[in-house]
Amino acid sequence: MAVVEAAPTLVSGTGEERSRSWLRALELIVPGAVLLLVVGACFVGPLVLPVPSPVGGNILESNLPAFSAGHLLGTDPNGNDVLARILHGGQSSLTIAIAVNLLGLLAGGTLGALSGYAGGVLDSVIMRVLDVLIAFPSLVLTLAVAQSLGPSQTNTILALAFFSVPAFARISRAATLRLREQPFMVAARLCGTRGWRVLLRHLAPNIMPQLITFGMLGMGIIIVIEGALSFLGLGIPPPAPSWGNMIAQGQASLSATPILVVWPCVALFITVLAFNLLGETLRARWSGR
Amino acid sequence: MRPLALVLASALVAAACGGGEDTAGNAPAGPPQRGGELTVLEDAAFGGGWPTGLDPATNSTGGANLSQMGAIYGGLFNLKANDDGSNAKAVPNQAEGYKMLDGGKTVKITIRDGIRFTDGTPMDAKAVAFNFRRAVGSPCTCAPIWPLEKNGITTEGERTVVLNFTRPFAPVINAFPVTNVNWIVSPTALRKMGEKKFKITPVGAGPFTVVTNKLSSELVLKRNPNYFKKGRPYLDRLTIKSIGGDQPAYQALLAGQADAYLGMNTEPLIEQARSGNQLTVATQPPTSPYVIQLNTKAKPFDNQRAREAIYYATDFDAIAKGLFKDRYPVSQGFTGPGGLFHHEKVPGYREHNPQRARQIVNQLGGLTVNLGTLENYVAIQVMTALQTQWQKAGIKVNIKKYELSTLVQEFNNGNWQAMLQTAGAWDPAAGVGVAFRFSNDSPFSGVNDQKLDGLLNGATATLDNAERDRLYQQASKHISDQAYAPFGLAFAPTNLAVDGVHGPGLTTKIPPIVVNSAVIWDEVWRTR
Amino acid sequence: MTTTAPPDPRESRVLSRVLGSPSVRLIGKRVLMAVPIILGVSILTFWVLSLIPGNAAQQVLGPDATAAQVRALEQELGLDQPAVTRYLDWLGGAVQGDLGNSLISGQPVSGELGSRLAVTGELVGLAFVISIGLAVPVALLAAYKPNRLVDRISMVVSITGLSVANYVLALLLVLVFAVQMTVFPAIGFVPLSEGVGANLHSLALPAAAIAFPLFCFYTRFLRGDLVDQMQGEDYIVTARAKGIGPWRVLLRHAFRNSSFGLITVVGLNLGTLIGSTVIIEQIFALPGIGQLLLQAINTRDFIVVQACVVVFAIIAVLANLVADLLYAVLDPRIRYGSR
Repeated sequence: MAVVEAAPTLVSGTGEERSRSWLRALELIVPGAVLLLVVGACFVGPLVLPVPSPVGGNILESNLPAFSAGHLLGTDPNGNDVLARILHGGQSSLTIAIAVNLLGLLAGGTLGALSGYAGGVLDSVIMRVLDVLIAFPSLVLTLAVAQSLGPSQTNTILALAFFSVPAFARISRAATLRLREQPFMVAARLCGTRGWRVLLRHLAPNIMPQLITFGMLGMGIIIVIEGALSFLGLGIPPPAPSWGNMIAQGQASLSATPILVVWPCVALFITVLAFNLLGETLRARWSGR
Repeated sequence: MRPLALVLASALVAAACGGGEDTAGNAPAGPPQRGGELTVLEDAAFGGGWPTGLDPATNSTGGANLSQMGAIYGGLFNLKANDDGSNAKAVPNQAEGYKMLDGGKTVKITIRDGIRFTDGTPMDAKAVAFNFRRAVGSPCTCAPIWPLEKNGITTEGERTVVLNFTRPFAPVINAFPVTNVNWIVSPTALRKMGEKKFKITPVGAGPFTVVTNKLSSELVLKRNPNYFKKGRPYLDRLTIKSIGGDQPAYQALLAGQADAYLGMNTEPLIEQARSGNQLTVATQPPTSPYVIQLNTKAKPFDNQRAREAIYYATDFDAIAKGLFKDRYPVSQGFTGPGGLFHHEKVPGYREHNPQRARQIVNQLGGLTVNLGTLENYVAIQVMTALQTQWQKAGIKVNIKKYELSTLVQEFNNGNWQAMLQTAGAWDPAAGVGVAFRFSNDSPFSGVNDQKLDGLLNGATATLDNAERDRLYQQASKHISDQAYAPFGLAFAPTNLAVDGVHGPGLTTKIPPIVVNSAVIWDEVWRTR
Repeated sequence: MTTTAPPDPRESRVLSRVLGSPSVRLIGKRVLMAVPIILGVSILTFWVLSLIPGNAAQQVLGPDATAAQVRALEQELGLDQPAVTRYLDWLGGAVQGDLGNSLISGQPVSGELGSRLAVTGELVGLAFVISIGLAVPVALLAAYKPNRLVDRISMVVSITGLSVANYVLALLLVLVFAVQMTVFPAIGFVPLSEGVGANLHSLALPAAAIAFPLFCFYTRFLRGDLVDQMQGEDYIVTARAKGIGPWRVLLRHAFRNSSFGLITVVGLNLGTLIGSTVIIEQIFALPGIGQLLLQAINTRDFIVVQACVVVFAIIAVLANLVADLLYAVLDPRIRYGSR
């Protein structure tokens, strides 16, 4: 998005334009690097760095301030190391966000593409079902699913997929409708290519970029909603950490121990910012302007 | 607005207590004053939820709604105590007195003369007997557990109700303040309105009458001008509001949107309130200690060695120190220091000894335990700490939080292993007392022991307090000897109030009979 | 999605065309389509609720109740009936406008719903007004000169807003504006009948807590769309070539076109938005429908949950319908069904 000013006709030339193309590269590299750093820190960090366990801390070391010996960011009320919880919590938050978006991308993307490509009765049926899901207050559905399945990482992912699948399907259908009558699609159909082959070989590569960028933008939203589930007593079951449940647990005594909310919020902010910047950049590139 | 003297006085008191102690229990500023309004908050998840209305016979959360019920109905008996919570006693309020006859098998309760419901009809023996009969069959867990004879509720003259029991029932009066027989509705008003309407705008003879009632959200009450005590209540208006948790409630108090909050649990906030010097902080005298119930009817705790390992692996002293700065005492039996029949030590109690625990676990060839508790800030913290301690002794621990319904399921199907719960009550035989967790016929017990049942039943069936004390001591020792369930921290909720609010149970201490203390609303007043 | 031609500026003619038969047919078709959606929502709710363990009887009686007590109450509430029977009973009443009685309190649901809907409706309405009212000028400023200071700041603010959970924001707002500065109340609701000023005053913080993330979302959405329009659309190029000033192009041409997209997004947002009122009403002790819904889920009062969800669904469907109709009014091509 942020790069749309650089029109495609300006390929090379003045120094200003060259610095712009350098800037364009940066807009991809910086958020990408930040994300790599975050993912690396969360998934590899605890294996390599000497961080203590995120659970099972010593109760006598509860609520230590930051920069205490052995606890860079201090400890929580249970005596667990906050840094360790941020890193491990990032694992589950990122896993959930990626899984939910992946589910949305695959299930929702396929449904939407099928619906848009086939049209007719199938389209009507799929769209009505999606309308029902969209008209349904999403938090209620999530609450109900989470309560009936019980709190766990897998169930949280399933519950949150109710948000992502209809959204992805809508976008995928709209993109498919736009592409349907494009010459290359018509040509493929006229050549007698089978339906699923058209979908897979010709349609999928063309709608994928849009779906992926949407997913990038949705990462932060999913992490925040997982926290909302924790706030209501669902989501990732403690003592296992996630950024969402750390925020939700911390808010219970926000005025007394604000720092417990600040750390996961900062981690969340950096990650969401990076995902959003990357998503915007990709969107701007793929939209082709 | 408030007199400078009071501000100075409370500042001095706070200074004298080092800023860390309760500000409750100190001398109030002068004689009570009439007038003013009060907005009281309660947690939506407990006292602030009254989804089934406020008719004592159909309110199934009556045990949590002591404030609402007390304000509307007053109560035949109230639990009163010294300002520091000592010397607690169930004293007659709308009742004039009671007599125990036939060694406790007959109870005669006399009603005060001349009390009228707010609809003008008299509160006489007939009305009270009508209420007792309704309460006995009610679906609330706050219904009385009287061993009634057939047609055991009768009247004698205008003002006396007679209860006939099949056996002596010692806690009958002590249990009144948390039982729905304490709250007397106007039978005439009930008949006129019908049950459905009555539960929204009930009519009693208490200090306040209902103005509006939005279930589990807001109850607005105004002063009952014809209240039977002259000059009471002091307040003109009382509003009870439901709020979603300790943190928003604390902020609402600081922002001046509410005057009191009942039942705070979140320790860091209690700490903050204490050091802030803006609020009166009254932590109630604890009566119900935490207990780790072990299911002796299933593996692995059908083996006493496994139970002993849990005793040795558990260090409640460290939890009391680390999590609660030693603010709450640790019990070795089912009573807390605020309750009756409390003894600090149980002879032969197995104290923390991680080496012994590890040794036993090794002998057993390892031990894996599922430990659960009901969702609640303090319980979760304690459970998490226990998990850590047990793991240090080589025990594998899976922890689980339950909601009410899943907890009930767990108990019903009998597969549970260890549950962190609270046990006991101010009077161990009242409300969710000790039998509830330990007697064989309770579905929420993991113990099947006839000797223990005998001791507990015996203590319920005698009026002799020395004898009761002896039996309860024996029961405690028996539980400890058999390693049925380690006891721990006796926690009690804290009430917060803004400056200038005074009242028994609100800014002074009254032991909670079960979970929360009953505020004596007709004595609550505020400095103007 | 929004790269449509600019709307016909001659409003009166547009209006008269809308009242013509194609539009009426469109409305009729959309209203008819709403019926199966709402029916679907009610079935889905019933099914999902039947998956949740525990029932109202058990929940009301608490952990200390005996099995016999629970069974007796179940019978009294009709919970021993099979789910299909209960659904058909409910549906039969609902069609006639009777949403049933709460399982827990025994009171008619419709009465309870009415008063609470007013609170939530006002809260959500206010949040919409604040968020859109702020998002439009900010997005315009940002899109006026993309990638300059204003744009960058709005970007950082928006992303901050999207990465801070609204319940944390709510508590922070209370801490700053109610506890520290005491300018707004921390909890409670003053009904409109007690004065507009007092009413708005009481809703300021909760509305702000809901509005801020929305504002961030709308700002980003609108800004992106505006920049897209300004960069490549032919009509913008034409307008510019005619010598129309940049602000005028942005306002009269690009913004009018982008507003279609905004309307659609706002309509789709409503379902999610009602979800977030659940938490906010809890924190601010507002007697709204979200509070009722959460209580009802927790006490397994499925009749109330069902009613709340169906009302939400009707509102969401209506909002989308209005969005579609607005769209049709503004874009002639859609009116004639040539989508």
